Amino acid sequence: MSLVAEAFVSQIAAAEPWPENATLYQQLKGEQILLSDNAASLAVQAFLQMCNLPIKVVCRANAEYMSPSGKVPFIHVGNQVVSELGPIVQFVKAKGHSLSDGLDEVQKAEMKAYMELVNNMLLTAELYLQWCDEATVGEITHARYGSPYPWPLNHILAYQKQWEVRRKMKAIGWGKKTLDQVLEDVDQCCQALSQRLGTQPYFFNKQPTELDALVFGHLYTILTTQLTSDELSEKVKNYSNLLAFCRRIEQHYFEDRGKGCLPQHGLPRGAMSAPRI
Amino acid sequence: MRRRGATVPVTKATASEPHLPSPTQAPTRPRSGRRHRPCFVSMATGGAGPAPNITRCGKHAARGTAPRSPRSGLSPEGRWSSPGHVQICESPQSPSRRTRPPSRWACFAFGGSGLPRPRRPDRQRRAWPRALAPLREPPLDQAAAALPRSPRLRPAPSGRLSGRAKPRLPEGLPRPQPGDPKGAVAGGGSAPGRAEAWREVLPGQRAGKMAAPMELFCWSGGWGLPSVDLDSLAVLTYARFTGAPLKVHKITNPWRSPSGTLPALRTSHGEVISVPHKIITHLRKEKYNADYDLSARQGADTLAFMSLLEEKLLPVLIHTFWVDTKNYVEVTRKWYAEAMPFPLNFFLPGRMQRQYMERLQLLCGEHRPENEEELEKELYQEARECLTLLSQRLGSQKFFFGDAPASLDAFVFSYLALLLQAKLPSGKLQAHLRGLHNLCAYCTHILSLYFPWDGAGVPPPRQTPAGPETEEEPYRRRNQILSVLAGLAAMVGYALLSGIVSIQRATPARAPGTRALGMAEEDEEE
Repeated sequence: MSLVAEAFVSQIAAAEPWPENATLYQQLKGEQILLSDNAASLAVQAFLQMCNLPIKVVCRANAEYMSPSGKVPFIHVGNQVVSELGPIVQFVKAKGHSLSDGLDEVQKAEMKAYMELVNNMLLTAELYLQWCDEATVGEITHARYGSPYPWPLNHILAYQKQWEVRRKMKAIGWGKKTLDQVLEDVDQCCQALSQRLGTQPYFFNKQPTELDALVFGHLYTILTTQLTSDELSEKVKNYSNLLAFCRRIEQHYFEDRGKGCLPQHGLPRGAMSAPRI
Repeated sequence: MRRRGATVPVTKATASEPHLPSPTQAPTRPRSGRRHRPCFVSMATGGAGPAPNITRCGKHAARGTAPRSPRSGLSPEGRWSSPGHVQICESPQSPSRRTRPPSRWACFAFGGSGLPRPRRPDRQRRAWPRALAPLREPPLDQAAAALPRSPRLRPAPSGRLSGRAKPRLPEGLPRPQPGDPKGAVAGGGSAPGRAEAWREVLPGQRAGKMAAPMELFCWSGGWGLPSVDLDSLAVLTYARFTGAPLKVHKITNPWRSPSGTLPALRTSHGEVISVPHKIITHLRKEKYNADYDLSARQGADTLAFMSLLEEKLLPVLIHTFWVDTKNYVEVTRKWYAEAMPFPLNFFLPGRMQRQYMERLQLLCGEHRPENEEELEKELYQEARECLTLLSQRLGSQKFFFGDAPASLDAFVFSYLALLLQAKLPSGKLQAHLRGLHNLCAYCTHILSLYFPWDGAGVPPPRQTPAGPETEEEPYRRRNQILSVLAGLAAMVGYALLSGIVSIQRATPARAPGTRALGMAEEDEEE
């Protein structure tokens, strides 16, 4: 959003309270959604749960195209549509709910930095795995991504998306990486997160913040999604405090509220396999 | 490149017991805010929580155990690793090096002297005699056997920290539980071998081990900076921080670098690395680690802040220098075109610009199909936020993690210095950055500390607007005169040679006659 538009939206947003019928749009959970999108969607859901804001999850096949920025998830609140975690956090803040108000400047800087770290490493690794690793692409991604569409659209869209993602990977230098290197990066990222988390319940001690939501979204998805190989989740499982962290958030914010947003209980492995056609 | 066979595990134990560094003592070393400069010692911190299990290998001597000991100068290995570049400032065997802190700095390969690195307690000094005792075997073996080796000693998995300019945890950063036992095992297992190699290395500069020194090719300096390119500057700064003995080739022709791009590092094995993060990884592997002293949390912070830099500041930097038309034409392209040799200066800057624009597009253009103005504003707003965050994080410290620079400082410095020093006609971000005084002070501090001779070049370039013109004046005048004379000479010569005008040295009386004769000849010729 431009600055002017943003200010305008903030003004409008501040005027109205959070409605009851706020909805979050994502792709079809069972057949279409991919690892990275699922992670992002879960992060937003976790964030809204932490803020105690009710949200309804609606799955649409064309969610990606409905979104104003092309990324899922996006929320439809009142008469505004906001996509991606960053803008959603700001939007929610304009409405008067914020998780990071209690942090001082240095902590806010750290929080932003760690969020960038997760986006930079975990998200990119997920994208790489989905779109640049041949095994996963062939078995899972292509089939899932194009599943709502008839032939030949499903192939065309899938290849187009793959080409875009690969271009981006090349631009940021991940094009030449092997899967092992990517997994190493994931490991490093998890290690950094684990070290930062330490023994605290949340990253900034007592209260969760958007960083916790983001990390939860990604880690939970990685842990509970079954891909062609288990290496990615194994990397995360090495860090017990991260596992405990995920469990804690899941219990506290998802099970307690009775919202069945999460696919399973207790971090079992979900299946992200090719849809049965 | 020489491989340090075994780094001497200098732990606190050395203070009390010269022979048996025990793992248990190591962790209790108080971690003050100060950091050791890269030292050659391995911090065997066993299982103790916060203390990093990092080997610091580097130019300094093995550190002592307890509270930071002053760096005693280049480690034996550091010194002997590249004979061409390391001057041994103190004799390694002298145990009483504590009293000569300034000489440390004389040992830098770049000849930097008097760099006021923070003094550390004499940890490593104490370790030195032990380490460099005539028979080094016992302490090494004991040490090696006793201490879990820091992961640093393990050969780093290749390509681990590869990829784009992504923040990477330094090789030697503390690894949590999984890492330590591995390190220990690796250390224990190969300790004898390492000790062997180390012994071989230490007693003298074995030429066999000291292969060619590492060479770094990078863009040359300008605008008051040692290098005008972001990556080159970061690598150079890191090398300066750690005192790595690099032979730096500052060139302006990327085709002359071994990999075709700059910066490029040619290791002593002849291998060429051209991704900046990989270069730094390699330096770490060679025990020039600026992050050995960081705690686990600080290492994680490094990674996070480098991500932040890349996501927020890098696009803006690219935009400022390569996409913004005014800046590009007046500053960037001008510098590159002037610096590059013919005929590269005609097409390379344009090609570089296209590459950067494409990179920028892919970095942030894909999800913002709005017009450029909006994109620009947003980018700059995020960058301003990022700068403010950095400023808040830095606070009033000298470096991001205390008193000694780390790899994060190298990267932050390279970004900030470019923004600050280059004289940009449209420098919106510059104005914001100048308002953040602690960041400006930070930059100038590092510049004056680590690049004094390059920084000294600042005033003259600042006068460039007036300078070149006045210098060109005499040349211009002279060239004009010369060209007029040359033209005249050519015309006269042609006239004479072709007979249009002929000079007869005849007597004045016969002048008309000869003139008529001359004209007659001319008629004949025609």
